[in-house]
Amino acid sequence: MAAAAHQSADLIVIGAGPAGAAAALAASHAGMEVVLLDEAAAPGGQVYRARPAGLSLAPEASGPDDRAGDALRAAVAASSVTWRASALVWSISGAFRVDAVTPSGHESFTAPRLIAATGAHERVVPFPGWTLPGVIGLAAATILLKSQGMVPGRRTVVAGCGPLLAAVAAKIVAGGGTVAAVVDLAGPSDWLRALPKLASRPDLLKQGVGWALKLRQARVPVLFRQTALRAEGGEALERVVIGSVDAVGCPTGGAERVFEVDALAVGHGLVPGSEIPRLLRAAHRFDAAAGGWVPERDGFGRCSVAGLYAAGDGAGIAGAEPARLSGYLAGLAAAHDSRFVDAATVQREAATIQAEQARLRGFAGAVGRLMRARPAMVGAIAPDTVVCRCEDIRRAEIEAAIAAGAREVNQLKHFTRCGMGPCQGRFCGETAAELLARHVGSREAAGYWTGRPPLRPVPLADLLGTFDYSDIPVPEAAPL
Amino acid sequence: MNAMRFDNGFRRGETLSFSADGVTVRAHRGETVAAALMAAGMLGLRRSPRDGAARGAFCFMGVCQECAVHIEGALKRACQVPASQGLVVELRGAV
Amino acid sequence: MTAAYDLAVVGGGIHGATVALFCARAGMKTVLFERGSLCREASGVNAGTLTMQMTRVALIPYALKAHAMWAAARDWLGHDVGVVVCDGLSLAFTQREAELLSFRAGKRREAGAPIELISGVAAREVEPGVAEGVLLAGHCKVDGYANAYLTGLAYRRALIEAGVDLREQTPVSGVAREASGFSVLTQSGAVATRRLVLAGGVWLEEMTAWLGIDLAIKVLINQLAVTERVAPVMRTVVGIASGLLSLKQYPHGTVVIGGGWQGKGDRARGGAELVPESLIGNMRLACHAIPALKQARLARAWAGLEAETRDALPAAGPIPGIPDAYVCGSVHSGYTSGPYIARLLAQRILGQESVDPLFPIDRLLTPPVAPLLPSAAGRAADEQPHHV
Repeated sequence: MAAAAHQSADLIVIGAGPAGAAAALAASHAGMEVVLLDEAAAPGGQVYRARPAGLSLAPEASGPDDRAGDALRAAVAASSVTWRASALVWSISGAFRVDAVTPSGHESFTAPRLIAATGAHERVVPFPGWTLPGVIGLAAATILLKSQGMVPGRRTVVAGCGPLLAAVAAKIVAGGGTVAAVVDLAGPSDWLRALPKLASRPDLLKQGVGWALKLRQARVPVLFRQTALRAEGGEALERVVIGSVDAVGCPTGGAERVFEVDALAVGHGLVPGSEIPRLLRAAHRFDAAAGGWVPERDGFGRCSVAGLYAAGDGAGIAGAEPARLSGYLAGLAAAHDSRFVDAATVQREAATIQAEQARLRGFAGAVGRLMRARPAMVGAIAPDTVVCRCEDIRRAEIEAAIAAGAREVNQLKHFTRCGMGPCQGRFCGETAAELLARHVGSREAAGYWTGRPPLRPVPLADLLGTFDYSDIPVPEAAPL
Repeated sequence: MNAMRFDNGFRRGETLSFSADGVTVRAHRGETVAAALMAAGMLGLRRSPRDGAARGAFCFMGVCQECAVHIEGALKRACQVPASQGLVVELRGAV
Repeated sequence: MTAAYDLAVVGGGIHGATVALFCARAGMKTVLFERGSLCREASGVNAGTLTMQMTRVALIPYALKAHAMWAAARDWLGHDVGVVVCDGLSLAFTQREAELLSFRAGKRREAGAPIELISGVAAREVEPGVAEGVLLAGHCKVDGYANAYLTGLAYRRALIEAGVDLREQTPVSGVAREASGFSVLTQSGAVATRRLVLAGGVWLEEMTAWLGIDLAIKVLINQLAVTERVAPVMRTVVGIASGLLSLKQYPHGTVVIGGGWQGKGDRARGGAELVPESLIGNMRLACHAIPALKQARLARAWAGLEAETRDALPAAGPIPGIPDAYVCGSVHSGYTSGPYIARLLAQRILGQESVDPLFPIDRLLTPPVAPLLPSAAGRAADEQPHHV
């Protein structure tokens, strides 16, 4: 029984953010038949999210991201790339058959080459009360602000690390909301140290300075070397307690401050979403600077599995523009490997791209350092704090499982159910691995979740469609 | 009211209303169910399976599954569903 | 050279672990080698079904006794594997299935399984979640399930408490015959032992080759799926006449769907690849049987490797021609019957009388050393064992 619809192509690209779109366009311009899939209704990924139908932006309010996103969408539409929106990819098998649930039902796509460009997800180190309604991610706050035109609450604390803090806080102020405080794990010295590298991208530095000035104007308190120690409330968030941390993110036990707020936007960095290379059993390595486990790749994004390429933040956190460049190289490589483009052309185009990548590396590295994982924060998690949100598994239970002999994350999952819930370990995975690493010596030793389908939880009703009993091809009966 | 709509250059689609546990919720075309509920002050969407703790939307990008509730009788992530006129939302999750 | 052991077991699934457990408790100095983590292969990833209705006729007497062991796991294992004893239903939706069900249930009943044939209406009383359109159902009260992924932790604790030298993350590269037994070759050196049990599941073929024995083990790649937690949709173990569906809902709400639908993989790579049509067919069958399941979301799918001998009966007993060497595995529905068969082998190793016959591998070797006795084979003449 085949899927409802089946399509063959030269190349399938999964993820239509800056990396995926660039990859698809590069390959398509070289003459390849390309299918581009994304769960969203329009290309752009998270950073260049399209505005939903019904919401529009006044021209004076549009910024560089809006313009870049519109250009990306226009380029895809103008190309011969087959763009499939609202496609929930749930299985990838062979080399390569991609199964997806789309508005038309269950569809499958086949191609000898596959580019994974599925982006990153947020890292949040658990703290008491982080599961209260009203506590959202920093990236989540960005989506509310940019795509829905809403500030998260009447009074918001913005906490965590990296440039997203200032971006979110400034946008809340611009939207007429109140930011009770910006709470940064980093200290002024961290920002000063980063400044020379940040200055290598004057456009982005200027944007950041603009945010900082806006916060200053609005008299928003900016607290350095602080963290949200706990969130409190009954059925929803009512207050956030802030306290000092040291240079590695560990609470110092000093004086606490309480902010009465109804929203907390918190984020502690980004983690590469390398679920597709993992599912296909590509080799991975742990790269803390890149955000965690990343697929082993050559300079063009080729993975250890033949025909598989990975690009963008899903293969290592570097930001939107580096993602676009890495996507372009992956598309180019796929075109070369499929004999649509000769080696000389590749050399020529790659040289420019690689020079540009080198120019951007400094900035990306500095931001990555500001957003890096801070293992000491994980060490400081209180025992009865929920680590696995889906299954309500607390730190104490994870420690007990380690004491009972769990030595790598998949064994830990079997011992506790941590990672077995619908988020498929995306939000607890980093914390669980870090807790395990403290006992087994390293993140490498702790390992990563074995990749299994479906890539996202998929409703059975959508997957199975309508069928008659006689349609089901039951194999031969089992032996008596 | 928690999340607040701002003007600042946004032009919203026409207003509509849907129901959540029988309560009428106003929204604009283009808003997701999760965002509209947050703007209406309805932050608690379901309860966690073991502890029965109140949970609401967390990541707003379809990954965390905290906002998976019954919409028109099927379990869907509220942050991925556009609000539409007359939509029936039950504030309960898979369990 | 490390200290000598009375018994070395190679392979840490439930067969190997159970043999080690009973031998150690009887006083044998025992070491168990597992190249990964305990009970993480077939033993940790199977559907956990404890049913007579999918057990081979020849194994029914063993499965009944194993079921009693699982139900009393707290007593002999000492730790929880989440065993739930409940009713089981095997459903027939077509006339052909009803005939197949009657025949199979009859054979299993003859072998001692308390299976009754009931109407579709009666089936819905046993299991309100079952679909309409059931023509006939096999109903058995000796049924239920365990939580396979809890097995590793439970056995780990039991083995350590029994004083077994448990060596996880310790691959064995070979075994050599010595004057006083065997030496087991590991990366950190050879370990001397008087007796040897090979309990390597699908890798039993490679293990027996260490001793020059050619035992062909077929590898089945069984796909399984689990939903996220859902509100109660069923309260029994459900299967169908052909034996190609297993379905149950755990107390915490997840529903596990299995039945032997094949994925792609091999001994080297494991259950490497899902076959989407296979998974969808399996889930359609599940949703046909329990319609409320359609509201659920699929959370995870995987494949486990199952070992099968040429006649799809166990490889459990002494290795011919090699004193003090034994095999234990390839039981077929090994999780269901495994603990009892492994305990029988332990009794044999300890020199005790075993109540039920084992399954010596002589019959499987080329040329066959001796045929299996008809009473232990119990194979219906007109049924050929095969899987897709």
